[in-house]
Amino acid sequence: MKAENILEIKDLKVKFPVTGGLLLRKVAEVKAVDGVSLEMRKGETLGLVGESGCGKSTIGKAVINILKFSSPDVDITGEVWIKTDKGEIDLLKLNRHDMRQHRGIIQMIFQDPYSSLNARLTVGQIIEEPMLYHTDLSKNARLERVSWLLEKVGLQPEQSKRYPHEFSGGQRQRIGIARSLSTNPKIIIADEPVSALDVSIQAQVINLLQELQNEFDLSIMFIAHDLSVVEHISSRIAVMYLGNIVELGPGKDIYHNPIHPYSRALLSAVPVPNPKRKKKDRTILTGDVPTPMNKPSGCAFRTRCPIAKPECADAIPPLELKAENHFAACPYVTADEIRV
Amino acid sequence: MSEKTDNEKSTKVSASIFKKRWRKFKTLKRGYYSFIAIVVLFTLSFILPLFIGRDALIVNYNGNYHFPIFKYYSAESFGQNLQGEANYRMLKQQFKEEEKGNWVLMPVYPFGPNENLLSEMDGNPPHPPSAQHWAGTDDRGRDVFARLAYGFNIGLSFSIIVTFFAYFIGVSIGATLGFFGGRVDFFGLRLIEVWSTLPFLYVIIIISSIIQPNFILLVFILMMFGWIGISYYIRGEFYREKARDYVSAAVSMGAKNKTIIFKHVLPNSLTPVISYAPFAIVANIFSLVSLDFLGFGLPPPTPSWGQLMQQGLSNIENWWLIATPLMALFLTLLSITFIGEAIREAFDPKVYSRLR
Repeated sequence: MKAENILEIKDLKVKFPVTGGLLLRKVAEVKAVDGVSLEMRKGETLGLVGESGCGKSTIGKAVINILKFSSPDVDITGEVWIKTDKGEIDLLKLNRHDMRQHRGIIQMIFQDPYSSLNARLTVGQIIEEPMLYHTDLSKNARLERVSWLLEKVGLQPEQSKRYPHEFSGGQRQRIGIARSLSTNPKIIIADEPVSALDVSIQAQVINLLQELQNEFDLSIMFIAHDLSVVEHISSRIAVMYLGNIVELGPGKDIYHNPIHPYSRALLSAVPVPNPKRKKKDRTILTGDVPTPMNKPSGCAFRTRCPIAKPECADAIPPLELKAENHFAACPYVTADEIRV
Repeated sequence: MSEKTDNEKSTKVSASIFKKRWRKFKTLKRGYYSFIAIVVLFTLSFILPLFIGRDALIVNYNGNYHFPIFKYYSAESFGQNLQGEANYRMLKQQFKEEEKGNWVLMPVYPFGPNENLLSEMDGNPPHPPSAQHWAGTDDRGRDVFARLAYGFNIGLSFSIIVTFFAYFIGVSIGATLGFFGGRVDFFGLRLIEVWSTLPFLYVIIIISSIIQPNFILLVFILMMFGWIGISYYIRGEFYREKARDYVSAAVSMGAKNKTIIFKHVLPNSLTPVISYAPFAIVANIFSLVSLDFLGFGLPPPTPSWGQLMQQGLSNIENWWLIATPLMALFLTLLSITFIGEAIREAFDPKVYSRLR
């Protein structure tokens, strides 16, 4: 593992079996993640974007190792290395018991602030729970930390006695953030943490995340489908299409100078809040996303790509260095060929 | 939001979901009053010998206090000219006539459920209702009202015990299938389907033709057949709750399966248990009455409503033998159904699902 990295994903593949018939035999499989390698630097925010169904949430859940819980038959291969105080660990090699010991340093913020909090527990109990498993704090120390965390995320300590249904969506997401911070994690997987919130609240929550990132020295994997949100918070962005990363680079570069044909189409679809400015050169994709059950051979994007060639069907194109720190998985484009 | 409203909100006492539902339940008068009535009557029915029974509460004989309700006294020990146990109603009469300062305190309704009153009454049983015997006597000269009262305790206790154990089994099995899913669920469901095809009534008839069923055996048999319905509901609830983010959150924070099940999934999956339980209790009371009626129920002379109805059927001209147990059954089932209805409404997540 490189010194500046805190998380390294190597050739991660996640396949969900599709079962059928009387004896639940495997009849097909969904390749949700198809060979992804990613590195996360210490203290950075790595944005992961793509349209729904491209596998970005699956990567987050595979990293935090909760896929096996909801779908026991899932087939996960590859390596997920994280750096801890005790050395480097491959999370995918751990069994459930050993994994539990390391869950304190890698935590998740969930998309839906309504279903991610147990409605039967008070806010204090919700935030306190991770400490029960990962610290030896006394009851009083835990409660003190709950109050402290509530203040950190912009809520009042007295509110710890209340139940989640008494809070608004934005407040609930703050509770979720406080819960994920309660064990002092190093890595946070934020799975579309603002997509269920109003735009005005989105900005508050994102700013809060950035403040907390500095204060707690967090490395955040920020999963989203909204490019403008990701661009605002991320130092680097990875663009995904059908289980593969098609482009990876610094946030500003990807946002302003996308290289891969898919990223260009994705960015030209971002609405511009200015009615006078018309986008002359919009790339409009035709057709639908192919089903991950039956992915096209070679480059998965070739069925919708405006510059597709017959050779694209031969092999999955690897990520190539196109500009400084900027990679794209297409051999037929260059960084110079910039569209306006 | 201004700071003031924020502070006002935080000083307000916060209510858990259960407390909110209980508050809602209390506003549904019909169900709430039925609930109070059933709880009070059922509690009282455990100290029934204090109100209805043949044994005196206190006997003062020659300056000494005796408590026959707790202890057996022979007739001779109170100077009564009888064989076996003392008859306290006659003793009270006797003490009054002797005027020696001895006295007997009887329960309000001084007749026992299994006591043969033929020696104290004129005519042939069954006797029609009278001021002394509010619901008459049955064909063996036993007081019907006392039998009804004791039968209430037995019927409701029986049904609550059956429901509790059946639901315990049903919740455990449903939770296991729903939580672990996959092959456990697939083969578990097939086993349940096989089990549910066993005809319940035939099993009871076969078993009771071999051995005389008693309270425990009947509880066991009804329990073995009563868990299937609720296990499907709980399985479904577990499947749904397990996929929700708060469970994923619990997994990702390192909770063990045991904690996930008992702290997170189960409390959120119990709504069908609570809203179906009253109806299951109704069904189980009815099962016991039917079995007693058919003669496969509790062994005689246990006071039972079904057995009284059976007597009423064979003595159809003695209307009180049919009317009183039917009335008791009707009122009990009606109030429990009201409770169930109110619970169901209190647990309804939609606020305006009913016009009122």
